[in-house]
Amino acid sequence: MQKTLSGRTSASPVAVPRPSLFNRKTGWVLLFIAGVIWALLQAGLLQHDFVNPGGWERVRRFLAAGLNPDLSPDFLRLTLDVTITTLAFAVCGTFFSLIFGFVAGIFASEVWWQSILPGRVGGRSLYRAPWLAVRSVLAFLRAIHEIIWGLFFISIIGLDPLSAVLAIAIPFGAVTGKVFSEILDEMPRQPYLVLRNSGVPPTLALTYTLVPQAFLDALSYAFYRFECSIRAAAVLGIIGAGGLGHEIFLSLQSLRYEQIWTLFLALFALNGLTDLWSGLLRRRLGAKLSCSGADCVDIDSPMSGTATLQLYRYDRVVRASLIIAALLIPFSFWYIQPNFGKLFSERTLLHLGEVARWAFPPDFSQLPLSEWLELSAVTVAMSLLAIAGAGLLALVLSFPSAHNFLLPGGLLVPSTAGLFHRTLGWAVLLIARSILLVARSIPPPVWALLFIFVLFPGILPGAAALGMYTLGILGRLMAEVVENLDDRPLTALKALGARGGDIFTYGILPLSSPRFLAYGLYRWEEAIRATVVVGLVGAGGLGHLLTEQLSSFDYQGVFTTLIVFVTLIFLVDQISAAVRRTFREN
Amino acid sequence: MFKKLILMSLLLGSLLLAACGDAAPAAEGAAAEPASTEPLVISAIPDQDPEVLQRQFGQLASYLSEQLGVPVEYKPVTDYAASVTAFRVGDLDMVWFGGLTGVQARLQVPEAQALVQRDIDENFHSVFIATKASGIEPFEDIDGLAQLKGHTFTFGSDSSTSGRLMPQYFLSQAGVTLDDFKGEPGFSGSHDATIALVESGSYEAGALNESVWDNRVAAGEVDLDQVQILWRTPPYHDYHWVARPDLAERYGDDFPDKITQAFLSLDPNNPDQKEILDLFGAEKFIATSNDNYAQIEAVGREIGKIN
Amino acid sequence: MPDLPLETSNIIFELRNVTHQFGSLAAVRDVTLQIRAGERVALVGPSGAGKSTLISLLNGTLSPSQGEVWVLGQHLARLSPRGLRHVQRQIGTIYQQFHLVNNLRVIHNVNAGHLGRWTFLKGVISLAWPLDVDTAAKALAQVGIPEKIYERTDRLSGGQQQRVAIARVLVQQPQAILADEPVSSLDPERSREIMSLLRDLSQTTGKTLVVSLHDIDLARSHCDRIVGLREGQVVFDRPADEVNETFIRALYKITA
Ligand SMILES: Nc1ncnc2c1ncn2[C@@H]1O[C@H](COP(=O)(O)OP(=O)(O)OP(=O)(O)O)[C@@H](O)[C@H]1O
Ligand SMILES: [Mg+2]
Repeated sequence: MQKTLSGRTSASPVAVPRPSLFNRKTGWVLLFIAGVIWALLQAGLLQHDFVNPGGWERVRRFLAAGLNPDLSPDFLRLTLDVTITTLAFAVCGTFFSLIFGFVAGIFASEVWWQSILPGRVGGRSLYRAPWLAVRSVLAFLRAIHEIIWGLFFISIIGLDPLSAVLAIAIPFGAVTGKVFSEILDEMPRQPYLVLRNSGVPPTLALTYTLVPQAFLDALSYAFYRFECSIRAAAVLGIIGAGGLGHEIFLSLQSLRYEQIWTLFLALFALNGLTDLWSGLLRRRLGAKLSCSGADCVDIDSPMSGTATLQLYRYDRVVRASLIIAALLIPFSFWYIQPNFGKLFSERTLLHLGEVARWAFPPDFSQLPLSEWLELSAVTVAMSLLAIAGAGLLALVLSFPSAHNFLLPGGLLVPSTAGLFHRTLGWAVLLIARSILLVARSIPPPVWALLFIFVLFPGILPGAAALGMYTLGILGRLMAEVVENLDDRPLTALKALGARGGDIFTYGILPLSSPRFLAYGLYRWEEAIRATVVVGLVGAGGLGHLLTEQLSSFDYQGVFTTLIVFVTLIFLVDQISAAVRRTFREN
Repeated sequence: MFKKLILMSLLLGSLLLAACGDAAPAAEGAAAEPASTEPLVISAIPDQDPEVLQRQFGQLASYLSEQLGVPVEYKPVTDYAASVTAFRVGDLDMVWFGGLTGVQARLQVPEAQALVQRDIDENFHSVFIATKASGIEPFEDIDGLAQLKGHTFTFGSDSSTSGRLMPQYFLSQAGVTLDDFKGEPGFSGSHDATIALVESGSYEAGALNESVWDNRVAAGEVDLDQVQILWRTPPYHDYHWVARPDLAERYGDDFPDKITQAFLSLDPNNPDQKEILDLFGAEKFIATSNDNYAQIEAVGREIGKIN
Repeated sequence: MPDLPLETSNIIFELRNVTHQFGSLAAVRDVTLQIRAGERVALVGPSGAGKSTLISLLNGTLSPSQGEVWVLGQHLARLSPRGLRHVQRQIGTIYQQFHLVNNLRVIHNVNAGHLGRWTFLKGVISLAWPLDVDTAAKALAQVGIPEKIYERTDRLSGGQQQRVAIARVLVQQPQAILADEPVSSLDPERSREIMSLLRDLSQTTGKTLVVSLHDIDLARSHCDRIVGLREGQVVFDRPADEVNETFIRALYKITA
């Protein structure tokens, strides 16, 4: 018998059996490692060299050109023009994606369906079926890459800028809708229920209660979407939207490195400023990133839904941002001049009918089943390698990129650190952030065309290209996680005399890992989507099949491949949901 | 405070406007033309020197406008599929297509006409190139292509006639299928990229447009110690102007002929017109017709690029 | 692990004219205070009086704007980061909001008490394969939740989490325990249990205990000295049994 200090006697100390090392969590980890090894084997590990030493000369020449970008007045004027074009496309795309997303968000929220279909049938809630159906439609819309949407709209609307705007608006609107619906569902329901109980119809009640409550989170997310739109607009340049992506591709095809660098610099500046602005704004909104990007998963901290709009109306940054946005939107529409008349014109309907006729019905017999599986395997392998590499590097870079890590007063540095540490801290932070900025600014197909010089063709250069892009975004999201960490448990560790390294392993890492995981899984899905745009470099997979079918105008084939693609993404979605559940619950 | 902000934003906004004043959007340029006639919209498949393409088409547009008496507008499109599609839906009236894309476009727009092409286009060739390190030796006969089996290989863009379609056709004539290469064949995206990728050794061999190869070699831009030419293919028809059938309706029955005439009458002795010819790399333009592309169509079907 | 060379005098904490500013606000103003080994001191006072600030000063989380903080005979401001850590290992702190790493298992939060002594490698290995399980189990048994050892910390109730925090301090084996409102998130019954646990711990091992409390009765029943703080200043500092209603009313009275 052991006497506890509080004077009670505890039952003879029960020896709690040590839980096995092999649980669901470690199971997933092992599965992941096995997956990466499998992917490396798919990529030809042990079969041939990966790195092409002959390509370094090209890389040297390419980098050397970076010291000497094309700064001729003509080219600078062109660069400015296309930069504004890209910005304008992003603004218009974001504008519509938000409208679409907010509307879709209401109709994809559980709370809305619950209140219009409160009944139960056979022990099951009536609302679930239509609710899940709406969510599946959104999932379908966002599973298809912007480029594919772009080509689709060109084939029914034509070359009008409207095509590119819609190509951004549809998939991003669908993501926004999903995220927004989840924000709504997380909000405290009482005010809504009060209105409902006094007879207000559900949509109206929602608009008057939950929507304003969710506004701040949604606004914060909107600015994150804007960042994404800038990157999407750059990629869409490839298919004729004009802008930076278009010019970079032209210059890249004719290997004019000096010009590429000028355009790159513009791209870095555009992305950097946007990210900076949006980052600042979101910090001000204090929406603790409850949702941004990661699909609203794993929300550990309570939402900031209680904060009122009033509080922010007087914040200078918020106000200035809203004004700038208000000016930027009409300016952007004026600049690119989308022709909305085309959306409902007879010609569009005619072409829509044509495309639909060509595409239906999907025909899976084009390829044998084994071929479909093989192509899907290549696609998954590529995305796995990309996310594994990006995740690892992002882990390394996200901490030094966070403001509260290596700077004096940060999580690991005493606030009394001297000038040397301060300088060093800032230097490390700037370098880490720059790497991430460059990595995410350059569109994946451009990365692919660069990597193909130093890596032998196959899955690897494709994975590396996707990986770089993913690294840039993931690193930034993860740095924000670190910046938003609850530092009280860390201070507690510090106060008991733990060293920096211990605070990292016992505090920072476990505290940030759920969100890291959530973001990693979210970017994994994104990486699969994006395999479409790196199919060129001999990487193969469904992405290349799709490119090939698109250039053969095999609409039926394209439609079929898209179905396979979307199915794959649904599967991956299921897997990541299962992973998240395991890690949340155990 | 609030007022100051508005002021600042307005300032910023007007700065932006001022900055892009002279880089007005394309749609505006068109609006400036006489409102009575719709502009003739021309474009080109970005196959070689997209940079130059931009310039050459600006000049060509003004020449054509002068000759035809209608406004002519050039719309750049970077993607093969996008330009064929834009031609189909009627956003592009006349496009400088490659052999394959021209056929694809005509199949999607019945009655569309191949009008003119350069002198060299009726007698076009591709070249196969390889690194010296690969050990593949130059050859005279098509059967030599069999040497490529077991090596890595890259095409250009996947819709390119000279960088993809015809090379793949000749390969199949020599009994080489895409599965015979080491790994999957690449699609470099452009002829220049093909040269660069083979030169750097990322791929051991590749195929591209003959005229790009000759130009780059002449300009000393190719390291001939690293990469060599293996074989020039037999001739085929390539680039050509294709016009939509509704042009006659819009501008008069003789309009297609007027276009052809405008091209045929490009005069090397007129400095301005010579520049256009030079930019196209042509001595002169010649008339062509849909029939010249029967072979391309057949090959396209065989390879699966045309359904 | 050799203990610190203790000064012969048994003063554990000493504040000499300590002021701490947050911007223009002085949260602690010119406080001079000595706490000896084995004492059980309660800090009481209204919200915003500076109790939490004082405790953060005592464990080295904050450094004073003016004045000197001496802990275990060391002047904290003069210590290197290493030296400071060395002193901090001898002080265990318990917080109102527990400040545990929620998504780690209980065993790891408890083992965090070892971190001052363990090598980095040992710490990392223990995260995968918990080490020193016996010590942790014993500490958890002492606080009455031995069965929770492999549970995830955020699955525990508030009272249980506070017990985990105490178990961590037990494992740390400090010479002094600081507790900042350890019981304000708990119900009265749980509060008394936790306070008794702390008192007994201090009584049986002779550890110094400094605890900030809102509940005067608990302070009187569980401590032997009470320090009253108001607006950053010490209003009174007396043995527990001498603190009567008059003091308390004066301490908490609302000033216009
Ligand atoms: N990090 C900080 N930054 C600025 N001011 C602070 C900070 N921490 C505390 N203060 C201020 O210092 C004063 C003392 O705060 P402290 O937390 O020490 O009070 P307390 O006595 O612990 O109050 P409570 O009983 O409410 O916990 C308060 O006015 C508080 O607002
Ligand atoms: Mg306090």
